[in-house]
Amino acid sequence: MDEQDKLILLKKLLLTEENEFAQSIAKKVEELNTIVHKKNELSNKVDPIIDDKLEEFVKEIPKTLGPTITEALKEEIKNSQDAVVDALFPIIGKMIKKYIAHEMKLLSENISNRTKSAFSFKKWLRNTKAKASGVKSGDMAISDYGKPKLIQMFVIEKESGLLIAEYSPLSQGTIDKEMIAGMLTAIKSFVEDAFQGGDQNLEMIEYELHTIHIQNFYSYYIAAVIAGSYSMMFKEILEDQILDFAQHHISRKDLEDSTLFTKKLKKHFADDIV
Amino acid sequence: MTSSKKVVLLGHFGVGKTSLFRRFIDNAFSEDYKVTLGVQIKKKVVELPNGKELSMIIWDTEGHTDIEDTRKSYLLGSHAFIYVFDSTREETYKNINEDLAYLTNIHSKVLIKVIGNKIDLIKEKTAKDQLKALNINVDCFTSAKTNKNVHEFFLDLANELTS
Repeated sequence: MDEQDKLILLKKLLLTEENEFAQSIAKKVEELNTIVHKKNELSNKVDPIIDDKLEEFVKEIPKTLGPTITEALKEEIKNSQDAVVDALFPIIGKMIKKYIAHEMKLLSENISNRTKSAFSFKKWLRNTKAKASGVKSGDMAISDYGKPKLIQMFVIEKESGLLIAEYSPLSQGTIDKEMIAGMLTAIKSFVEDAFQGGDQNLEMIEYELHTIHIQNFYSYYIAAVIAGSYSMMFKEILEDQILDFAQHHISRKDLEDSTLFTKKLKKHFADDIV
Repeated sequence: MTSSKKVVLLGHFGVGKTSLFRRFIDNAFSEDYKVTLGVQIKKKVVELPNGKELSMIIWDTEGHTDIEDTRKSYLLGSHAFIYVFDSTREETYKNINEDLAYLTNIHSKVLIKVIGNKIDLIKEKTAKDQLKALNINVDCFTSAKTNKNVHEFFLDLANELTS
């Protein structure tokens, strides 16, 4: 045995354990390499397990997470009652209003048929005048009444009477608008308290050729000052426009941002209502 | 942007609520006593030390010997109540602690200030001694007639409402 052989033997004796460890590592690396490179094979094995687990998870959601989600929603609604009611108020109002409008229409048609003959002379007279002047009979009928016009509109916080937004297309007025909002609220509160109408609200104030149309919501109300003939037809259109505005354009944030709200109000009611 | 706060004046008949209201808003005073019916509302824009403005919407309510007779809807949505009494008439302040407890019970978040008005008709020390004997705390003594402490009180209130 020469020097070289002795050295190899010694090396073998001294490094036996390390060699075995290195070999086992190499084997594991090779196995992992095989697994990684055989992705499809892995996918075939793992996918059905994941699918099963996912399906089971989806089935279990109502049982496991359901009560937690329901509880969280309940808590959220409880903490945001004002916001929820504000959002629902215009929708419910619109539904009730449509139902009543439909019933009223039926009643009105019924009455119209019965009274048609009684007003036939008036109709004949208008038709004759229309023919003579060249103006349509319908236009003439409408012009018999003063066309209603929106003078001012106020959005007012119901309890405090503080002005949230206002729009004055036809009048700047002589009295401070915040004072008007306060006094309107005081008058409204007084009437509602004085006649003990329960949860009833003041809906209209009339003075000579002007009418203040009041539409109540949960935390605020809208007062529209109208000049001219405040007919039922006009009232219907105005109510619908205000409900539409409340439903689609008023959010909780608007009620806190007077400037933004005023801009929205001006934009929405800039055109003639009728 | 100017923010707005609702402030309500409360107290017995003839304690000077309307006089304080007029002194602060119009800087005017009249000896003629006209009873307030219902409520009158006026606005005063106050400039605050930080340069911002506060619009104080002041509700001057009719006087009541019993606070519970005050129209409840007038109190809703308030940011501050000013309870005014006549420093010369004990009947206007002897039940003040019960009245304040009633207000606090219903409107726990509303700031309440107590004013002893007509201090020009009595020595301040005498008034203080009488009130101390009844365990009544007063925020300020004023005179709408001589304009003593009126503007200062409302300006301090404006600051407190916005701080």
